[in-house]
Amino acid sequence: MSSADATADAARRPFTGRRVRFGDLVLQLVAGAAALGATVLVGLIAWELVHGARPALSKYGLGFVTRIAWNPVLGHELYGAGSFIFGTAITSAFALLLAAPLALGAALFLTELSPQVIKAPVTALVETLAAVPSVLIGLWGIYVLGPILRDHVEPALHSTLGFIPIFGEPGAGSSIFTAIVVLAIMILPIVASISRELFLGVPHELKEGALALGTTRWEMVRGVVFPYARGGIAAALILGLGRAMGEAIAVTQVIGGGVFIHWSIFDGGDTLASKIAASYQGATSQLFSSSLIYLGLILLVMSLLANIAAQWIVRRVARKHGVTRGGHA
Amino acid sequence: MSAHDLTGPNLRLDRLPRRRRVNRLMEVLAWLSASVAIAILGILVFSVARRGWSELNLGLLTKAPIPFSLTNAPQGLANAFAGSLVIVGIAALMALPIGILVAVYLNEFAPPSIRNGIGLVIDILAGVPAIVIGIFVFVLLVVGSGQNALKGSVALGILMLPFVARATIEVLTLVPNSLREASLGLGIPQWRTTLSIVLPRAIGGIVTGTVLAVARVAGETAPLLFTSSLVGPQINWNPLQPLQTIPVAIFELSESPDPKDHARAWAAGFVLLLFILFASLTSRWLATRNARRIAGR
Amino acid sequence: MPKCGSFTRITATALAAVALAGVVAAGAGASPAKRAGTTISGAGSTFVSPLVAQWISPIGSAYGYQLQYSAVGSGAGIAQITARTVDFGASDAPLTPDQVTACNGCVQIPWALGGTSIMYNLPGVKNLLHMDGPTLAQIFLGQITTWDDAAIKKLNPGVSLPSTKITVAHRSDGSGTTYNLVDYLSSVSPTWKSQVGVGTAVNWPTGVGGRGSSGVSAIVSSTEGAIGYADVAFALQNHLKYFAMKNNSGKFTTPGSRGILAAASSDQKADANNAYSIVNPPKKFPEAYPISTFTYVIVPLQSSKAPDLKKFLFWAVTTGQKGPYTAKLRFVPLPKSVLVVAEKAIAKIHS
Repeated sequence: MSSADATADAARRPFTGRRVRFGDLVLQLVAGAAALGATVLVGLIAWELVHGARPALSKYGLGFVTRIAWNPVLGHELYGAGSFIFGTAITSAFALLLAAPLALGAALFLTELSPQVIKAPVTALVETLAAVPSVLIGLWGIYVLGPILRDHVEPALHSTLGFIPIFGEPGAGSSIFTAIVVLAIMILPIVASISRELFLGVPHELKEGALALGTTRWEMVRGVVFPYARGGIAAALILGLGRAMGEAIAVTQVIGGGVFIHWSIFDGGDTLASKIAASYQGATSQLFSSSLIYLGLILLVMSLLANIAAQWIVRRVARKHGVTRGGHA
Repeated sequence: MSAHDLTGPNLRLDRLPRRRRVNRLMEVLAWLSASVAIAILGILVFSVARRGWSELNLGLLTKAPIPFSLTNAPQGLANAFAGSLVIVGIAALMALPIGILVAVYLNEFAPPSIRNGIGLVIDILAGVPAIVIGIFVFVLLVVGSGQNALKGSVALGILMLPFVARATIEVLTLVPNSLREASLGLGIPQWRTTLSIVLPRAIGGIVTGTVLAVARVAGETAPLLFTSSLVGPQINWNPLQPLQTIPVAIFELSESPDPKDHARAWAAGFVLLLFILFASLTSRWLATRNARRIAGR
Repeated sequence: MPKCGSFTRITATALAAVALAGVVAAGAGASPAKRAGTTISGAGSTFVSPLVAQWISPIGSAYGYQLQYSAVGSGAGIAQITARTVDFGASDAPLTPDQVTACNGCVQIPWALGGTSIMYNLPGVKNLLHMDGPTLAQIFLGQITTWDDAAIKKLNPGVSLPSTKITVAHRSDGSGTTYNLVDYLSSVSPTWKSQVGVGTAVNWPTGVGGRGSSGVSAIVSSTEGAIGYADVAFALQNHLKYFAMKNNSGKFTTPGSRGILAAASSDQKADANNAYSIVNPPKKFPEAYPISTFTYVIVPLQSSKAPDLKKFLFWAVTTGQKGPYTAKLRFVPLPKSVLVVAEKAIAKIHS
């Protein structure tokens, strides 16, 4: 913790030896209870999910995680998360691959190249993309994006890169590919806005020093900005990945559905989140619903891991660069 | 890649034209990236507006839907608009006091280690997927007793909580310590200082944070699927029953084979989008204005 | 500024908000208010949902009930009424003995009669196409894959059929309509019976899955060459063509009132659970449409909403069967003998 933190804290409590009033105690207790509740909430969420998944947990154990099956036929019920974990991994990873260069490029534009006049409006617009509800992006994906991809992009990709198995025969409008594009659109603003703040935090002296040495702007970015912001960019990417993994509605609208893992991304499939959203209302047995909750539990673990990793990186980078919590460059 | 790369052979003057070209290329790519990002937003808004235009009329907000209508009687999504108002409104009423209390505790009372620890947990809570929150509320509250709008509000409230808490902490930090010191120096107890001096000063930021949180959850579908989706077409304001909401209505209509249903989905989506965009941009503008006001004076 | 004023204001607002939040949160944990007589909620069959939708408004005017029905599929409807998350469940597939036990004191009541149409999308062909059971089974087994297959050509002499690929559209959720179809396919195709069997959800050898009858209708509407199945009301509503199916007497019949009523007369004796089996009637019913089915409402015998449920169900099986509600959707009013069975079962509901 930096010295600025310590001073601020001391200033908040200037009379450490003073008499504690009853009102102080009450407020501290009530507020503390709220804070405690919020803290406990995450653990409670995990606990309740374990509780809800119990029938499936006791029946399948950890084998559920790797099994590729989803058979709701009564009498032959068999459930497994394998294909959905794969679907989540593939869609999120490819979405990040698609969105990251665009997001970083936009962030660079906003910090280095943009004329002052349009800086604020463009920033606002890029970040507003994050506010568009996922159900609308999904609706748009079904009726606008899907047909465009199916009729123009997929045949083009198949004819030029068809020798690579992931670019198979063009399918219906709803496919893993459409889901990847939709997810990329959704995580673009998050990665862009975090990166933008990171790039703004790079000390001017470092950047100007590089330019004074005769570098071009791009060389300065490559040599100063990126290395300095490296940790933060990693955190931004991981946060974007976590967001993509957790998206249920837009994905279930455009992904087409399917239990088996196909090579081609133009086929349908499902992710953990999209399977839950699609099947929950129609669950026909307790084993079915608890298996869906088990999927939710796996999703929670995956997104918690991504989130904790990102937050840890953010805090480590902030400490390294001497930024106090709540301060912005 | 470190700063060392900026010296020596890489900065050769004879390579300058090439280096300038690469630089130019990267600039163009950066411009393009920003344009693509804005273009996507533009295309989305435009698509939604164009497709929703035909069904966009007052009837959308005032008339109830008629499932499997055999006539061409006018119908709308009044039940969804009513339900959304109730559920999001109650969610805000739930999240606001708790979020403020959490922020007050973290900023005014907590020692730095606890503040950082709980702050971390709140940030992690913000990253829990909405559908997982939906399952959580489902297992905790719905199983055994049924759905209702209040349970939906609880789920949305949990989603809003980190936003309200974070926004309040940030604005509490901006309130100058001199104010607190002066008040304490006058003999006013800390609790009263917090409630009647610090918080009123921070109201602007709290409102901003709440508006942003409302914009965030107004469009959330997943948690409501588990808590308030077994609904009828009647216009209902009773929070003790499951109520239809705009995002769930759009979700269901989007899967229908009837083009008229799609048009209604686009129209409702357009209204929702306008509301959210307005709320987001307004709160952003308010935030910058308030930050200057609170810290300055 | 007057500290007292703003202090009081802030505290009062805060306390009020917290109190409100507390009260509201407490309400969230409570069961939904048993405002008897106001809301009747149900879930299940998409097959019967067009008819139930017509009942919402007249039931509201007649008794003041707010009827809420979620078409989530027969399988889910059975699960939900078993869990008592709704007041009634609806299913086209009769309860299996295990489901009867699990439901713990439920009664199954026939409340509508309709037919499953086999819809298709073939824009170039204007004629009403013919189909028979064994060929349909082969299509759903994935053994016949194009429209110009010899078997289809034989059923439709003189019609020029394109070589378009057949895309099978089936239900991805637990469906009574599926049950009706596979019950029929099992009775006309031993291969289907041994390979796939009967149930509300089966392992489909081929095809694309859609959620609900609307999902299947959507796939058929948007995919050229697709074949799917749903209650005939969906085919009519989405302007989709459907096959004339060959019954056991050799006639090609369609899912209209005549065909469905003729099929209904093939089984006039309800089993112990008030269920009928009218699929693939024998040849002494020449007008019968072979893929017809009764559909059932499942209610707990003992319920706090018993008086309202009884009023609603009596209305449904009598007034609700009349022309204005059923004719356009091709549901057929319950035959007298079935009505007697239904009314006897409804009378058993008590609080």
